[in-house]
Amino acid sequence: MARLAALRRDDARPAQRLSARILRFPVPALRREATRAARQTNLAAAVLALSVLADSGVEHYRGSFRNRAMFVPLGAAALTLAASLLGVADDRPRRHPGRDGVYALAAAVGAAGLAFHAYNVGKRPGRLSWHNLFYGAPIGAPAALMFAGALGRLAETARDGGRVFGLPAERMLAAVSALGLAGAVGEAGLLHFRGAFQNPAMVLPVTMPPVAAGLLAATVATGSRPLGRAARLWLKLTTGLGLAGVGFHAFGVHRAMGGWRNWRQNAIDGPPLPAPPSFTGLALAGLAALSLMLGPDHA
Amino acid sequence: MPERFPGYDVLAKRRTQSWNDQTRRVIEGRLTVDPQAHSFFDDAEWRTLQAVCERIIPQPPERQRPAPLAAMVDEKMATNAADGYRDARMPPMGAAWRRGLAALDAEALARHRRTFAELAPAEADGMLSAAQGGLLAHEAWAGMSAELFFKQRVIPDIVGAYYAHPAAWNEIGYGGPAAPRGYVRLDFDRRDPWEASEARPGREAQAWRENQRVGRS
Repeated sequence: MARLAALRRDDARPAQRLSARILRFPVPALRREATRAARQTNLAAAVLALSVLADSGVEHYRGSFRNRAMFVPLGAAALTLAASLLGVADDRPRRHPGRDGVYALAAAVGAAGLAFHAYNVGKRPGRLSWHNLFYGAPIGAPAALMFAGALGRLAETARDGGRVFGLPAERMLAAVSALGLAGAVGEAGLLHFRGAFQNPAMVLPVTMPPVAAGLLAATVATGSRPLGRAARLWLKLTTGLGLAGVGFHAFGVHRAMGGWRNWRQNAIDGPPLPAPPSFTGLALAGLAALSLMLGPDHA
Repeated sequence: MPERFPGYDVLAKRRTQSWNDQTRRVIEGRLTVDPQAHSFFDDAEWRTLQAVCERIIPQPPERQRPAPLAAMVDEKMATNAADGYRDARMPPMGAAWRRGLAALDAEALARHRRTFAELAPAEADGMLSAAQGGLLAHEAWAGMSAELFFKQRVIPDIVGAYYAHPAAWNEIGYGGPAAPRGYVRLDFDRRDPWEASEARPGREAQAWRENQRVGRS
């Protein structure tokens, strides 16, 4: 959060309504706001990439890197993380082709991983069964890398005030954030159901982010400012939830037999520490989209 | 027969995070059973029990620390660590053992003019087979079925004692209690570094090397 505060310092101007139309004019204050939001989106991609790097590192190690392709997401996520951190530090209002290329690569690797994991689940005995969805290669995990790549590309596009598929970058960013949150909710729902929601806090990631994603989508659809304020509040709560989730998962590891002393089993078999920050990354991107649409957040 | 898990010693896991103090205590307890200690059975019963154990699960003579099967069965009876269920046709656990061992001895004296412990291995096996088939009917059985004695006491108690002992775990590549650390790589044909490595044909040397590392992970 300290980094976010630092990022906000350069928008001393009063709130202005920034539509995509205005954004494409080189008004310095507006460009600054766009760049700030783009850097926040780079940060969102960095958080997602870090989550993917740690999660796929642990899980593919557990799978003994049986298939050589299991190294690929580690490389792609590491590159994405590095590019994103450079993006966070870069306050020039221009797309960076190198970063953009890394993000495109990440999105492609994520998409390939999604297909590969789906194939892996499908080839297990019983095919597409709940058991295989629970215990096979997780479908949602490679999607996180895909989303990191998509968010990153949108961050670069937002610096230019460009369009994606005919939509202004911020609308696309909001859509990707809402879609990503929905996917993360699906993954958390599946795995927390597997965990029988044994701790009441396990309900939070399947109840709070859907509200945030719904409000974000509604804001994009209607342009309503009150909805936008509500969306910001819930996205901030979701940002915090993703970080708190790491703490909850650390508590879960501690509760398993042997606790943290038995980390070689429990940190791998237990609740995954790197997973919850996906919510943080996606919510940060949603907040950046709202900043681009509604102006800086002075709440 | 070549070892299936060459160089594997489950006790190498003793100091690793695989086991906690409670697990170590329990396994230590099994390792320190005195092979000659018997408090439940009298000397005649004890000699017969030892002879039965040797025929049910003969252990390799070169084994440094064989499982003390008779002493483990005696301990189970002495502490009345019963199974929690009993076939109603059978007397309680300890009484069944006493009567069964005495009957085997009486039957051996009647058939071979020697106690059961003095029988040659083939003779002892013949008597145990007869018990299994329900073909023993000396009056010393006193109404207890020899077949049920064999199937519900002899086999479960002796085999259960054997596979509770680390000597058997080494033989079958078992890792001992998963307490606290269990296993992480749960798919078919995957192996955690703290698991025994099986010497399938052609990979004996690799299995031996991997088994040397079991205590280091």
